[in-house]
Amino acid sequence: MSAVLRTRLKIADLTAWTALDAARKLLPAGHALRRLQREEIFVFEPAEGRGADFEGPLGHAIESSNFFVNPNKEQYRFLGAADRGAALVPPEGAWGILARARGETRDDGLRERLLREHPMNGLGSIRRGRLWWLWVEGPEGRSADLEACYRAVGPVTGSRRGLLVNPHSETDFKIDGPVSWDAVEAFLRAPAAPRREAA
Amino acid sequence: MARVAVLQIPGVNCEYETVRVLEEVGLEARIVRSNEPSSALADFDAFVLPGGFAFQDRIRAGAVAAKLPAVERIAAEAGEGKPVLGVCNGAQVLVEAGLVPGLERGAVEMALAPNRAPRRQGYLCRWTRVRAGQGPGAALWTSALEGDRVVPLPIAHGEGRFETADPAVAARIETGGLALFRYVDAEGSPAAHYPDDPNGAMLQAAGITNARGNVLALMPHPERGSWLFQVPLDWAGAWGERRRSAVGSRSALDEAGPGRFLFESLARHLGVPRAERVVA
Repeated sequence: MSAVLRTRLKIADLTAWTALDAARKLLPAGHALRRLQREEIFVFEPAEGRGADFEGPLGHAIESSNFFVNPNKEQYRFLGAADRGAALVPPEGAWGILARARGETRDDGLRERLLREHPMNGLGSIRRGRLWWLWVEGPEGRSADLEACYRAVGPVTGSRRGLLVNPHSETDFKIDGPVSWDAVEAFLRAPAAPRREAA
Repeated sequence: MARVAVLQIPGVNCEYETVRVLEEVGLEARIVRSNEPSSALADFDAFVLPGGFAFQDRIRAGAVAAKLPAVERIAAEAGEGKPVLGVCNGAQVLVEAGLVPGLERGAVEMALAPNRAPRRQGYLCRWTRVRAGQGPGAALWTSALEGDRVVPLPIAHGEGRFETADPAVAARIETGGLALFRYVDAEGSPAAHYPDDPNGAMLQAAGITNARGNVLALMPHPERGSWLFQVPLDWAGAWGERRRSAVGSRSALDEAGPGRFLFESLARHLGVPRAERVVA
């Protein structure tokens, strides 16, 4: 069981604006992308055989320094293993894409810097991912064809197909409802399969 | 005179020095803004996508620019066999647009992923050595390279690691000689470690072409090494010795640098008579 930090800009996110603009041109006919939001997600795993004793100092470090969050421009939610609930739940009306690097998702450099500036015991690994949340309406008020939307703006497969993820450097999964944190953790930990073998 | 379009996408920053070196080798170069009508790209003989940070690298380097109508137009011109060079951010655009390696028409088959080196992350700016290979792009892009095929060139990137998740694509790049430029060490052997291998790219690739050889995605910046004065004073080897010998002589410093061969080769390919070129 890991602790989770989710951050996003509270100032205008120009990357999200650009993604919104680019994604609108790629969606299936009749679909309208109303909103797009970007989040960074950090998962803090306890060291082997350790519990959640690092969570207090980590929470303090997040709240009292700008190591992870600059409060002038970012907002965050830090949830300890006991508080995070059973599942990652999309915001009301949204579906999402969780993406991570294809290679190692454990950020040892970040952990090393964190522990240098904020010594704490029991922290194992830090893993990272990125969440894209999208609010899409289907044609004539009907619900959107999420699978088609995902193919249109998710992993890039062609010059006019896909946008938010390059599957040769990243891997991802579609979130169209609550996803258990166990599944999120497993996704962030598992080695990515070669593309054709995975298909 | 052969004409080359240099595509200016918001955020690029190497268009003027690219024009300068293209003109130096006898080509007519014109900056074309990416929001001009696609017809503005008609009647050019070759295209260069210069380095920089198109759309501030938002989402991913090259991801947004790859979907511009101007890039689609350049893709169509590449399909006619016209030369297309993408340098650094331009290379990222070509990869995200599926022009490199371009094995399956319209498919994006690789990525330029974040640099990977032990205990080092992020942007890297330094001189490297690359070896020019003998793949399908060699005739077009390296014909002016005489003698040593190991060339020092500067890099400046955070996402320069050529990578594909498709083993079949990796195999075709390797067996087809599409990795035209590869990082090497001081002895000219394939770079095994950082910093000779600056980013952990597959096959130590610094530049990859399409199967036809007319489209080149090159991470190093040859335009930043096209005059001798641009070579670092402390560079080891023949280019460093030339650079040190040139100290105090403006005319010697203005001679061609190690990156010039790429543009000279392009000029030759486009039929620019040697007399029209300023030969150092």
